Amino acid sequence: MNLAIRLALGTCGILVSASMAVFGAQAAEPTVLTIFAAGTLAVPFKEVSAIFEKQNPNVTVQAQFGGSVMMAKKITDLHQDADLLAVADYNVIPKYMFGHPPHAAWYAGFARNAITFVYTDKSKYAGEINAQNWYKILARKGVEIGRSNPDTDPSGYQTVQMLSLAEKFYGDAGLEQRVLANAPLTNMRDTETSLISALQLGQIDYLAIYRSDALQHHLKFIDLPGKINLSDPAQAAYYQQGIVHTKNGDLAGKPIVYAVTMVNGSTNAGVAEKYVALLLGPQGQAVMKNNGFGEFNPAFAVHVEAMPAGLKKLVEPWPAS
Amino acid sequence: MLQRPAKRWDRRAPSQSRGLYLLCWFLGTILVAFLVVPLIALALSQSGQSLASVARMGDVRDAIALSLEGAFLSAAIAALMGVPLAYGLARTTFPGKSVVAALVDLPLAVPHTVAGIALLMVLGRQGVLGAPLQALVGLKFWGTLAGIVAAMLFVSAPYTVNAARMGFEAVDPRLEKIARTLGLGPWRTFARITLPLARRSIMTGVTLTYARSISEFGAVVILAYYPMTAPVKIYELFLRFGLDQAAGASVLLLAVSLALFLILRTLSRGTPRRENR
Amino acid sequence: MSTDVALQALTLTLGAFRLQSLNLTVSRGQILVILGPNGSGKSVTLEIIAGFHRPDSGRVLIGGRDVTALAAEQRNVGYVVQNFGLFPHLTVAQNIAIARRTDRKIIETGKALSVPRDDKGLLAYFDVAHLAHRWPEDLSPGEKQRVALARVLASEPDLFLFDEPFAALDTQTRDQLRGDLLSFLRTLSIPAIFVTHDHADAMTLADRIAVLREGAVVQDGPAADIFGRPVSSFVAGFLGVENILKAQVIETTDTLTVLAIDDRMLRASGPMVAAAGDPVCLAIRAEHVTIGPPQAEQPPSFAVNRFEGLVTSVRSLNPLVTVEVDCGFPLKGYLLAPQAHAMNIGAGKLVSVEIAADAVHVMAN
Repeated sequence: MNLAIRLALGTCGILVSASMAVFGAQAAEPTVLTIFAAGTLAVPFKEVSAIFEKQNPNVTVQAQFGGSVMMAKKITDLHQDADLLAVADYNVIPKYMFGHPPHAAWYAGFARNAITFVYTDKSKYAGEINAQNWYKILARKGVEIGRSNPDTDPSGYQTVQMLSLAEKFYGDAGLEQRVLANAPLTNMRDTETSLISALQLGQIDYLAIYRSDALQHHLKFIDLPGKINLSDPAQAAYYQQGIVHTKNGDLAGKPIVYAVTMVNGSTNAGVAEKYVALLLGPQGQAVMKNNGFGEFNPAFAVHVEAMPAGLKKLVEPWPAS
Repeated sequence: MLQRPAKRWDRRAPSQSRGLYLLCWFLGTILVAFLVVPLIALALSQSGQSLASVARMGDVRDAIALSLEGAFLSAAIAALMGVPLAYGLARTTFPGKSVVAALVDLPLAVPHTVAGIALLMVLGRQGVLGAPLQALVGLKFWGTLAGIVAAMLFVSAPYTVNAARMGFEAVDPRLEKIARTLGLGPWRTFARITLPLARRSIMTGVTLTYARSISEFGAVVILAYYPMTAPVKIYELFLRFGLDQAAGASVLLLAVSLALFLILRTLSRGTPRRENR
Repeated sequence: MSTDVALQALTLTLGAFRLQSLNLTVSRGQILVILGPNGSGKSVTLEIIAGFHRPDSGRVLIGGRDVTALAAEQRNVGYVVQNFGLFPHLTVAQNIAIARRTDRKIIETGKALSVPRDDKGLLAYFDVAHLAHRWPEDLSPGEKQRVALARVLASEPDLFLFDEPFAALDTQTRDQLRGDLLSFLRTLSIPAIFVTHDHADAMTLADRIAVLREGAVVQDGPAADIFGRPVSSFVAGFLGVENILKAQVIETTDTLTVLAIDDRMLRASGPMVAAAGDPVCLAIRAEHVTIGPPQAEQPPSFAVNRFEGLVTSVRSLNPLVTVEVDCGFPLKGYLLAPQAHAMNIGAGKLVSVEIAADAVHVMAN
């Protein structure tokens, strides 16, 4: 056989054995639990996953973090395999995952959060701002405020809803418009965490973000009143007055509840169930609290009847709003 | 080996190795297929109607136009500043030259987000260059075309510099010396002898810079989300709608880019023989 | 004759290479050939003259001007390199047109100068008008040379510099082009410096020769002197002297030097360079080695050396035949082909070899 044919066969041989090695290796590996989660859950989930891996030595948790909507679409549109999905706004799951065909059958809220503004020493009027005068300072000329895109990201539309509620709460007509004037399109990104470096570099003075991020990044933040910061499920009715106009239509304010679900068709349902149980249980809740999230005791869930038996007892049905 | 009678298709010269030839074809075809099939699949996923509807969206057209405009400026600046740099690297020696050459290549290895943050650090509102530029000339890089061009230029300038440098190195320095003895000063020599002989390589480099600038996302999006370049817009469409819309806008961008590159290639070819080998 | 081009005490260190105090002159109408092996500094010397290297010390004078501090485009030199250096992206006409004209006149010495200065005239003068729109890569070497000369002449130089332009060409083309170049240079009275490692170039073109070795001139003077009386075996070898032999001086008289190579004796006339007992080198050009059938009588005079020996090799290079004879030491001589045939020359044949005493050139080393 001449050299060329030998070379060609050799190349094929290399390709084949390489792929076999890869697949073979996968068959010998421990179980991999794939989680898609919102970016703001990165830190707490890493801690929960560490605990989980200790408790289940033959399981490796591989988590990806990004915008909640992006993560959902990776499953629905890009058909990527995941066992669990955790989002920053519980509405994302029914909106994207309950379609035809359904990618999930239920969801459970496991943590709360609040919208706030973070800032640094370099920020304008940093020495002056407090929980009472914040909306006046943020409306001042020359203040640069960053936020995420309301059309694509939960914290984006939650920020605007909060401002809309603030207008009613303080009885200050035009508050929303004045503050948003300092947060033009050029200060917007698709997720709020992209703007943290801009804040630290002094490009923006204030960033609309979650309270948990403020604590995790050790940034100064403003304690906004519970009636406007979307943190309290008991205020759900009040929150509905906060309206944001997006390209997807008008959205009414809802409490910020982080929700998790098991993705239909996953091959690791048993392992996934255990992870959710850990998350909803006392250890998971402690991790969330330590990272600046609000607790959820007990967890609320929607479509409890569709949940695995082991999880049903950990949740209560979501109260009707 | 038995002598085989020469077939009609077997017209190769006696020394042309069939084996080597076939191997080149085999491996080459695999690579080309790897590059082209995904793009064809993308293009075929769109019907004429869906493409037309995407083309009708004003913000998509604006995004593509912005990408082309920014990439053009980026390529122009790369040419203006990169070509002289390349000439210096090709013709002169100075202490630290290899360091400079390596630094020119560095942006290619920097993760795009990191590049964007580094640029923001320097060109932002409180940046060491950004602050004075904003104060003195009103030039802002945050959320502006200038910022987009800065990000594009950072990641794509090395292509122009490297290609131009190779082009200049291929020009026989003795031709330049002869031109000088014929009475042409250094500037005229550069313009009428060196540059024309290196033109093809330079054009290749500039085209690569242009292409790379169009596709840049990670560094651009740190500096500017609005106004939206095409890659940012495509990502936004994906988040808001879904794969179909994003794919449609992508195909539109690809079609426009392809047309542009063909035009650029035709322009850079010029008249035959007017180049060195 | 007034000196038009002078290199005075030029020194330069370039990395490992050192040019050591070069002194050369070329007059109007003269062709100086700088001859030397690769790496001896010939090209560097030209580049200094043209203005591409700054010498560490020394001066370059062209046309009476001190140009040492001037840029190349201000020196009025014409530079022709290997393969003639035509600009590949310009046509023949454009190559000639790009040379910058000045208002000065080309230096003349009483000869009627009929070389035109405009583009059309130059194209016609060098008989390349029909090639005006052709590309350099399509031209034959002869055509390229004519275009290169037209171009260089268009810039009205005070000095021509040639850096081994024929190096890559075959022998026949070289001969042809050398001849053309010589007639061209003789028509003008512009001085020229021609650099080469080929002694055949020197033989055809040189009025003066400077032999360069490792950055120093080892011999410098009129061409006939250099060829006839090389100063060392290095120079002799470089000039293509076919017989270079080590010998010892036995005695010297007023008119002759008697030398011995092993046990054979030789007489050389010409200036004495050594004393009795000194080891020397001899240079004998092959054309002065007369080969003939063995002779019985004594040679006619002391002024002729005669030996007998056996032919060791015969090589035919029409119309000459190179014959190597072992006379106790190897000697090369030439025969014309008909002579060789008539003598029935072949290896092992006994022949006699005659060399005139004044053809034996004695060198110190």
